[in-house]
Amino acid sequence: MNVKPGELVRIIAGREIDVKVHDKGFVASTAVFIVAIVASIALPAMLAGGAPSYTLAVLGDARVVSDAAADLVSAPDGERLRGVPETDLTVVEAASVEAALAREGVTAVLSMDAGRVVVTGREGVPDGLTSLIAAASAHVTAQGVARDAGLTNQQVAALVSPTPPRVDILAPGPDYAVPPQLLVIVFGLLFYFSVLTFGIAIAQSVVEEKQSRVVELLVAALPVRWLLAGKVAGNAVMAIAQVTLIVAAGLVGAGLAGQGDVVSQALGASGWFLAFFMLGFLMLACLWAVSGSLSARIEDLQSSTLYMQLAVMIPFFAAVFLPEESPLRVVLSYVPLTAPLIMPGRVATGDAALWEPAIAAVIVAVTAVVLIMVGARLYAGSVLNTAQRTRLLAAWKSGGRA
Amino acid sequence: MGVLTPDAGTVTWGDSTVTLDVRRRVGYMPEERGLYPKMKVRDQLVYLARVFGVEAAVAGERADALLSDFGLAERAGDLLHTLSLGNQQRVQVAAALIHEPELLVLDEPFSGLDPIAMDSMATRLTERAHAGVPVLFSSHQLELVERLCDDIVLIHEGRVVAAGSAQGMRAKRAGSRYRVGVDGVPHWRPTLAGTDVISTTDEATVVELSEGVDPQELLANAQRAGAITHFSRAVPSLSELFAEVSR
Repeated sequence: MNVKPGELVRIIAGREIDVKVHDKGFVASTAVFIVAIVASIALPAMLAGGAPSYTLAVLGDARVVSDAAADLVSAPDGERLRGVPETDLTVVEAASVEAALAREGVTAVLSMDAGRVVVTGREGVPDGLTSLIAAASAHVTAQGVARDAGLTNQQVAALVSPTPPRVDILAPGPDYAVPPQLLVIVFGLLFYFSVLTFGIAIAQSVVEEKQSRVVELLVAALPVRWLLAGKVAGNAVMAIAQVTLIVAAGLVGAGLAGQGDVVSQALGASGWFLAFFMLGFLMLACLWAVSGSLSARIEDLQSSTLYMQLAVMIPFFAAVFLPEESPLRVVLSYVPLTAPLIMPGRVATGDAALWEPAIAAVIVAVTAVVLIMVGARLYAGSVLNTAQRTRLLAAWKSGGRA
Repeated sequence: MGVLTPDAGTVTWGDSTVTLDVRRRVGYMPEERGLYPKMKVRDQLVYLARVFGVEAAVAGERADALLSDFGLAERAGDLLHTLSLGNQQRVQVAAALIHEPELLVLDEPFSGLDPIAMDSMATRLTERAHAGVPVLFSSHQLELVERLCDDIVLIHEGRVVAAGSAQGMRAKRAGSRYRVGVDGVPHWRPTLAGTDVISTTDEATVVELSEGVDPQELLANAQRAGAITHFSRAVPSLSELFAEVSR
C-alpha cells in the first residue's frame, strides 16, 4: 500500500471542515457576524444618506423669511452660505398655526408676532430647520437695514454674503472615511473572535478523539504528526474562509451603501490584516491542539486552554487600548503574539513604514515554525495518554520518542 | 499498533518489522470504543476507510456491504451514540474490517455484549478466520476463548503462563487426574497408595495418581466402596486451568 501524506492530511482536514460546516452553532455565529458587520456599515450610511427633508407652513408676512430660506437652500453646493445646512425644503401656505400643525407632514409653522419671527413645532423643531430659519431671518433683517441705509444692491450682497476666506493646507492629513481606530477595533475583534473559536474547536476536536479513543484507531493508520497537520489545516482553512467571508461581506455592504471610501480604506488595511491573521492563527494552532491533547476529558479543557485564551486576549486588549502614539505600541507590533493585531493596525492608521509589516510578518512566521515544531512534539507526547491529564514536561519527553 | 512503545523486544509481521505500511494492513479495534460518537455510522466507516487509503467510491460500497452484513443497514444514517452498545461494537468491528486487513487485532471484542450479540460476534469473527484473515483477540471470557480459538496464550500479571491449543493445554494439565463418583458415599477417599485427593464434593472426588499407578486399580478400589456413578479423566476447563496457573 502506498501511503501519501498529502492525501491523508487532506482527508483528515476534510473531516474537520465537514464537522464545522455541519455545526449549526458555527454557521449561526458566522451568519450573525456577517449581518452585524453589514448592518453596522450600511445602516449609518443609509440613515445619513441624503439631506433632511422638511415641510414648512407659512402664515402671512412670514413669507419673506421662508422665501429667503428657500433661496438659501436652493443655492448649489459650494455656493451655499456657511452655516446653512443642506436641506430639502418645501414651503406651504397656511391659514392658522393650529390648522397647519393639524396637517400631515408639516414639520413646523413660521409666523410673525410683532415683527418677530416665530417657529412653532409639535414636540420639537429639528436643529437643522431652526438654524436655516435663523440664517434666513438674519439675511432678511440685514437686507432691510442695508436698504434703509441706502446701500446699493452690490453692497448689500457683499454685506450679507461676504466672500469666504480661502483655506490653504500645506501638509494635508489623510482623509479617512472611517476613523482608523475603529477599523483596528473591528479587525481586532474579528481576529480575537476567530482565533478563540477555532482554537477552542481544535482543542475540542483533539480531546474528543482522545476521549472516544478514535485516536488509537487513527494512529494505527497514520503518524501522529500527520493527524495534527490535518486538524490544523482543516481548521485554518475554515477560520481564514470565515474571516475572509466576513471582511468581504463588510466591504460589499459598504460598497452597496455607497461608501466607496470605506471600501478602499478597508481593502488597503485588510490585505495585511488577512496575512497577519493567517500567520497568527498558524502560530497558535498547534498549541491549541496541545492544550487539547494534554487533557483527558472535555471537562479539563476549561483549565488547560486558559493560558491559550490569555495569549489571545491580552494582545487584543493591548491593540485596542494602547494609545496610538505610545512607543510600547511600536515595540509590540514586532512581538510575535501582539504583532498580528497591532502591526495591521499601525498600517491602517498610517504610522508604519512600508517595510515594517514585512519585517514583523517574517518574525511571526519564524515564531510560527518554532511553535509548530514544539506543539507537534508536545502533541505527539500526550495525545495517546488517554488515562489522565498529561504534564507538559512528560509530554515533551515522550514526544521526543514518538 | 503504534499506540504503545514496547518496553523490550520487537514485533514482526512475516519477516518485516511493523512499520506504518504494515500497520495500515491490520484491522485494529481498541478496547474502549474508538469511534466518533456524533458522526453518522456510514460516514464514519467511509472516513476510516479513506484514512486507510481506500478510494472513496470503494469505501462507500464496502461500508454498505459491511453494514448489511452486520444487520445495521437501516442504521447507516444514525449517529453512533444513538445505537445500543452491542450495535456500536458491531460498527467497531466493521470499522476494523473496512480496509480488508490481512490481520485483525481486537482488544476485548466481547466485553459488554449480551449472549446473543456475543454469539453473532463470534460467528462474524469465525467467518473472517475461515476466509483466511487471522484474528488475534484478547478476552476474559475463557469459555468463549476455549470454543473459538485455535491458539491461546494465557497471560497473568504480564507474564505468559501457558500457551498452545486449548485441548493441548487442558490435556497436558490433566495429567493423571480422575473424577470418581461412588453411590452413597459422599466425599469418598481412596484407600490406595500413590493417590492424592485434589478435591471432594458430595457427588465426586478428584484424585491425582502418582506415576505408575494404574487407573484401573483406582476404579477397583472405588468399586469396593460402592456402586460407581462416575469415572472419568478430569480435564480442567480453561478457567480452572487459569486459576491454577495463576495461583
